[in-house]
Amino acid sequence: MTSAQAYRTPLPSRDVRTPRIDRRRQYARRARMSDLLVTLLWASGAAAVALYLASGGMNAWNSPAGVITGLGIIAGLIGSDFVLVMLVLAARVPVIDRTIGHDRAVATHRRLGKPALYLLLGHGALLLIGYGMSTGINPISEIGPMLALPDMPLAFVGTGLFIVVVVTSLVAVRRKFSYEGWHLVHLLSYFAVIFALPHQFSDSGMLAVSTWQRVYWIALYVLALVAIVFHRFLKPIISTFRHRITVVGTETISPGVVSIHLRGENLRQLGSEGGQFLIWRFWTGKTWYHSHPISLSAMPSDSRARITVRELGAGSSRISAIPAGTPVSIEGPYGIFSDVARTAPRLAIVAAGIGVTPVRALLENARIVPGEATILLRAGNTDETYLWDELGEIAAAKGATLFKSIGHRSRGRSGWLAEKDARRGVTLQSIFPKLMQSDLYLCGPSSWLAAVEAEARALGIPEHQIHAERFDW
Amino acid sequence: MRKRAVAASVLASLGILTVGWQIGAATAAPAISTSGGTAVGKTAASSAASGPAAAPAPTASAPAAATGSGLKDGTFTGASADTPFGSVQVAITISGGKITAVKALKLTDQGGRSVQISNYAAPILRQEVLASQSTNVNNVNGATYTTDGYLTSVQSALDQAKA
Repeated sequence: MTSAQAYRTPLPSRDVRTPRIDRRRQYARRARMSDLLVTLLWASGAAAVALYLASGGMNAWNSPAGVITGLGIIAGLIGSDFVLVMLVLAARVPVIDRTIGHDRAVATHRRLGKPALYLLLGHGALLLIGYGMSTGINPISEIGPMLALPDMPLAFVGTGLFIVVVVTSLVAVRRKFSYEGWHLVHLLSYFAVIFALPHQFSDSGMLAVSTWQRVYWIALYVLALVAIVFHRFLKPIISTFRHRITVVGTETISPGVVSIHLRGENLRQLGSEGGQFLIWRFWTGKTWYHSHPISLSAMPSDSRARITVRELGAGSSRISAIPAGTPVSIEGPYGIFSDVARTAPRLAIVAAGIGVTPVRALLENARIVPGEATILLRAGNTDETYLWDELGEIAAAKGATLFKSIGHRSRGRSGWLAEKDARRGVTLQSIFPKLMQSDLYLCGPSSWLAAVEAEARALGIPEHQIHAERFDW
Repeated sequence: MRKRAVAASVLASLGILTVGWQIGAATAAPAISTSGGTAVGKTAASSAASGPAAAPAPTASAPAAATGSGLKDGTFTGASADTPFGSVQVAITISGGKITAVKALKLTDQGGRSVQISNYAAPILRQEVLASQSTNVNNVNGATYTTDGYLTSVQSALDQAKA
């Protein structure tokens, strides 16, 4: 059944269900944490500079050469701090993931990339100029004596690696790479950090033995290293071996879309909230080198889980033919496209195409009262109504209102709706009359999603009430 | 970004920077201290009243009678002067009442850059001291700590030659 109006499951009385949760207070807590993280980010940069000042760094600012050298040192300190913050942001630390979500953590990581590189290049250039001026030679000739310093050749190599990593991550360049190729290059950043490390301790008197600066930087390096090693490497390995997930079988639910049924142990202890995704790797000869971020399309039982995939990338088309018994490794669950991100008393969901999969799990897991949630499902044609029948049943049982909009995209107003619905005068406001008191969860392709977001913003919905999950990479 | 996050970030950063700056300013004044010898200012040849009294004995073999400059002949080892980048110690040789040689026994050595600086600054300082026959010489650009430490140690050696 694709329409919630066809029949209704009798609703339980309100007071036997979980009492209404104070979403605003829940959001206030998360917002406080988020502000704290932002403050920590900037304070760490300030601390790096403050420690330099505290150690009497300004005493050397008594000549133009001294000033330029000092600025070069500060650029290097802030640059290193940014690099370490970027490592922490990429480490998928649970507190960060649950506060701002995986996608915002990655976006922040990406935004810091170019400034960090410029600071590190500025660090090198300013020191060449400053050192050159103090000894009366030009910055280019200063490269020679500079390379003669211990560990400096390594630092130069490290800088080169940083340039490669940032350039390959520029949007235009990144498109030319496969995800795996890009990721391989990106791993060079670990080497860049390691290569830059020795000169910070051997060449700069600033990190000299028994100073607070040294304590601070060692602490920061250890923090970043532990975060990466534990959360990116150890935890996935542990959870892979603990849950021993294997493929039970695949089921084609529509042309080009398969559900993969999985078996495992203690899957509830994954602690996944409905709507979260995991990063999956299927260990067959042809698929092990692709990893796939895929949402659970149903809440897992202790021994069974299900994901639903549309064949998008080169890798996804191969996973539809995965044989039963294939071992699966996992990272995650990640993301806050779930109950965790709620901020407002009502729930509005719009999902398109394969974007229904996290919504299916989100709704199943949502702690909502009857009448709290309204859902609009969107498909190009009746073949794309993946999992709609299941969603209909859950919506009916939870007292959520379900709407559908099937057909070509409208070319006029409300371009995210089907042509015929938009022409009838359907708008975001008409589907969700209480949009301003709602959390708006959106899941679908980027361009479609941008159209819904634009209409929501035009209606004046606060930014923190929009939760979007983009389904294309 | 939220306003509260921006405000908190700005306040925290400014606070941290101010504290760092204040500590830096407070510790800036006594950057150079001597140890193991007479406490000597860069210009004033004050004798030790408060500092450690035991000045190292001149290593000269045969102090001759003082000549017009008031300096005894011989080789005198200056006190070791501490800088944030390691200690500096020099020895001077007086012959005929004049400084004829300045030898660096130890130069700033904490950090590769610091070694590079002292290797560059030491010959210049030696020339200047020999030319001016005093510690009244210009600071070597980019080598402030080395200069201060070097001259402090030279002055300490000169004081011993005068005594």
